[in-house]
Amino acid sequence: MRYAIRLKITYDYPAAVTDARHLLRVRPHADAGQAPRNVRLAITPRPDEHARERDFFGNDVDAIAFFAPHTELAVLMEAEVAVERPVPALELSPSAPSLAEEALAVATADGTSPLNHLGASRLIAPVAPLTAYVAETLGDGLAGEAVMALTRRIRDDFAYVPGATSVGTSVAEAFAARRGVCQDFSHVMIAGLRANGIPARYVSGFLRTEPPKGQPRLEGADAMHAWVDVWLGGELGWVGFDPTNGILAGDDHIVVAVGRDYSDALPIGGTFVTAGPQETDHFVDVIPIG
Amino acid sequence: MAIHPDILRRYAAIAEKSRDEMIAPDGAVRPHYAPLMARLGKMSEGELGRRFVSARQYLSEAGVFHQVYGEGVEQSHEWPLGHPALVLDRAEWAELCAGLVQRARFLEALLADLYGPQLVIGERLLPGILVGRNPEFLHPLAGQAGGSAPLLSFIAVDLGRGPDGRWWVLGDRTQAPSGAGFALENRVATSKAFPDVSRDLNVERLAGFFRKFREMLFALGGPEHTRIGLLTPGPHNETYYEHAYLARYLGLLLLEGGDLVVHGDRAEVRTVDGFQPISVLWRRLDADFCDPLELFGGSRIGTPGLVRAVRSGALALVNALGSGILETPALLAFQKPLAARLLGEELSLPTIATWWCGEEKIRRYVAENASRLQLGPAFAGAPAFPVMGETAARPGERHRDVPATAREGIGIVGQEIAALSTTPVYGKAGLEPRPVTLRAFLMRDEDGWHVMPGGFARVADSRDARVISMQRGGGSIDVWVPSTTAAKPVTLLGPKGDRFSRRLPGALPARAADNLFWLGRYAERCEAATRLLRLHAARNSEGWSAGELEARLAVLLREYGVEIEDGHPQRGLLALGRQSADTASRIRERFSPDAWRTLEDIVALILEAIAEEEEDIVELTSAILTHLSGFAGLAHENMYQFTGWRFMQCGRALERGQATAAVASALVAEAPPVGALEALLTFTDSSVTYRRRYSVDLSQQTVVDLTVLDPLNPRSLAFQVNTLAEVTAALPGVHLGETPDLLLRRLARLRVRLQTADALEVDTAFLDRVAADLALISDLLTQRYLLSSPRAAAEWSGGPE
Repeated sequence: MRYAIRLKITYDYPAAVTDARHLLRVRPHADAGQAPRNVRLAITPRPDEHARERDFFGNDVDAIAFFAPHTELAVLMEAEVAVERPVPALELSPSAPSLAEEALAVATADGTSPLNHLGASRLIAPVAPLTAYVAETLGDGLAGEAVMALTRRIRDDFAYVPGATSVGTSVAEAFAARRGVCQDFSHVMIAGLRANGIPARYVSGFLRTEPPKGQPRLEGADAMHAWVDVWLGGELGWVGFDPTNGILAGDDHIVVAVGRDYSDALPIGGTFVTAGPQETDHFVDVIPIG
Repeated sequence: MAIHPDILRRYAAIAEKSRDEMIAPDGAVRPHYAPLMARLGKMSEGELGRRFVSARQYLSEAGVFHQVYGEGVEQSHEWPLGHPALVLDRAEWAELCAGLVQRARFLEALLADLYGPQLVIGERLLPGILVGRNPEFLHPLAGQAGGSAPLLSFIAVDLGRGPDGRWWVLGDRTQAPSGAGFALENRVATSKAFPDVSRDLNVERLAGFFRKFREMLFALGGPEHTRIGLLTPGPHNETYYEHAYLARYLGLLLLEGGDLVVHGDRAEVRTVDGFQPISVLWRRLDADFCDPLELFGGSRIGTPGLVRAVRSGALALVNALGSGILETPALLAFQKPLAARLLGEELSLPTIATWWCGEEKIRRYVAENASRLQLGPAFAGAPAFPVMGETAARPGERHRDVPATAREGIGIVGQEIAALSTTPVYGKAGLEPRPVTLRAFLMRDEDGWHVMPGGFARVADSRDARVISMQRGGGSIDVWVPSTTAAKPVTLLGPKGDRFSRRLPGALPARAADNLFWLGRYAERCEAATRLLRLHAARNSEGWSAGELEARLAVLLREYGVEIEDGHPQRGLLALGRQSADTASRIRERFSPDAWRTLEDIVALILEAIAEEEEDIVELTSAILTHLSGFAGLAHENMYQFTGWRFMQCGRALERGQATAAVASALVAEAPPVGALEALLTFTDSSVTYRRRYSVDLSQQTVVDLTVLDPLNPRSLAFQVNTLAEVTAALPGVHLGETPDLLLRRLARLRVRLQTADALEVDTAFLDRVAADLALISDLLTQRYLLSSPRAAAEWSGGPE
């Protein structure tokens, strides 16, 4: 499947800001399952500094800085991406308990290692009832199938309610309320899996905007989306699951960045100096082009 | 003659249960303690008391104190220095040094591997999860070990002596070790108390170590002799005093994250003279807080982009960001194989026995032996100072449950409960044996690692304290390494033959200038309010019934936050006094301790008056004014009259000018009430001058002339504007002959207006306009030199869906 993607992020600063530095993680990732081309990034006003980098997890980063006062910031990313992700052979995965053991035996700690995704991170900490919730779903069966079941269970048990939570909502709050948006669902799933010894990481990306004929429209398609990569052993490696929609991350999902949680993969972060408020908005278009 | 045998017997009896530094098991004084004990034995109680007082006096005059936290209030406490010093045997010290240097080399190699090839993980000598889950493993710095700058240059090692007589490593401090400055202060204070004794014992000096350290920092900066900074979390940190002290002692710029800005790949200091490059920082700020962009995004005390500057090689940090990973307690469980692999040696200093519960077999061992072990977190996050247990475990965390599974055990270690040796310290009942730990400091230069000949020793406040903590009432003592030859004095001055040249201080950081400016303003504001209040109170006590004049004074006072009507005007004064003292405490390194203490005294004075419900406002305000003039005198007589001093003068003149304009305006406004002219003269402290210059009869014209227009009266409005214009002309970036900017033009215009005005035109409208002009000038000055508003984080409130 090929897509034309447009992402537009805007900021309004009525009181003007200075000394701004931002890190952008908005370019589609190039990997075995997806091939971006014609990636264009337009930033207004023109940054005083702009460097392209790769972070620890292998994400594309655009580091930009503005020193002069400005009252708005607009980031427009356009790209074409061909996605062809093989369906993972979940039946080949080990059982959940042996998967946990296999993960701990890994002898690398580089950016792709599952060892980075087993503990607490800035936004994710274990929550006892959630650990139990995930444990009862996992059981002793094949980890891949158990994680798929967990993905569906979260979709079924949780209400998708945009605006019910914010970027600052904790895992414990989202789990207790059983509602939120893709980021909450992903954090909940990651926290529960890690507490059960299964490596899980946060994925930020895009979702196809309009579904194929006869299929329902997926939730979260109008904005940046988030889902979960689960490490299913040396054989299968990282496999994407989308708890918001209760499905595998397949050809409708376009990966931008991965990390321990949202704070590692957020599309735009940074700091600036201002005396006033800020308003931000973003929209996403993911159109199939054959 | 030695110390009285009875005293020794009594001491030996208490010390019996543990190993003692001074007394051998047979009850005899150990040979290396004998010279000290012999001298102490000759001192009467009275003499000892006098000696302790001189040490205390030094500490209090130098302003040494430490912060104690509790119930949300920070309090400064007297620095708890005990006596006598811990004396170390020379031969034993040499052996300990060799072990410490070896340990430093080991830590260096381990850090280079963890932020490099990670061989110890690949070869399964260290479980990868101890890095993967480690909050101190900073991802943006992964792979940094390839660079040219050393990752470690200054570390501390906490030691305790076990029953076997050997020194054991209790923990490593590699992130931002504190205590070196306190060790230095302890040394100075102890030498004040026992100058003869320390000379007779040829105690090794510390200055040489600091000199080497300073040379190393400047060498790191390269041949361009750039500035070197000490990066501090700021005045609210518990060791800020030490940061300010060391910055002053070593001649470093004391910088907070907000003082720095990154342009391109370079770090620069915001100064009143523009951005100035900086290439070396002694980091006393925990790494995670250093850069909100790439590290902890919630940090408000960091510098966005700092990590970039480090990665590019343009900025060297001592120690490297991420070096805190070496403090991970779980690493202590893998010392042997790690040292064998990385050094090819066995470590000569033993480490406190530690078991990591992430492996099932070991978890079971810990569970079976839980009663004699102490459980604690496996990952770092140890408080940097001053809580230091005899193990790496934190108080409050020691009764943690044994983990049920190895997975839960990943975050937990079990450690042996170390029995510490005791050292003699004078307590209420004479010499008492107290458990002691020793923090040793090491620095690295091109020749390798060097150990500070001494250290920072902490003693518990009771015999069997398990945790030695200054937060909980413990104390510290000096550490003496006697030498066989007389110690040569070493100072931080350059070697003989260095050509002396007087150089002006480097550019002033904008934040320091801002604080000095506001200190000038706040001290003056406090004075203005105090004067007004005294005026009001004096009239009250002279029996005037409250009339129009009192009403006008009350309105003026309200502007300063001082409420007359509720009967508690002291509270408003207290706030003003605190503002000055707090501002001064933020720039303590640029101040004489005396000046700072004067402001603290004012706060104490008002607090006392409030506590004792003292109603004599005249007396209180007079006392405050005396202190304030003491402060002004110290600032004027003792401060180096360069850029910083100028900003303080600007603040002072601006505030005084505005106050005079406001008070004069209120008092002469339509039909001045009876007594208004006297009040204006009193407020401006010009009564005496007036009587000498003019007749006894007051006229509005002559009073206004003296208090507003007379350029020779140091309290007049015109005098403030002239001062402001002169001082501002000497600020950086002002070049005579160039087109003056708005700030200078405004000032010049105001100056002329006051020079040419006639006393008859000086009415309320005139004065209000001057006050408005002064406010504008203050804004312009701030914009041009001082602006550093708080940073905001870019919010992504849209959030993914």
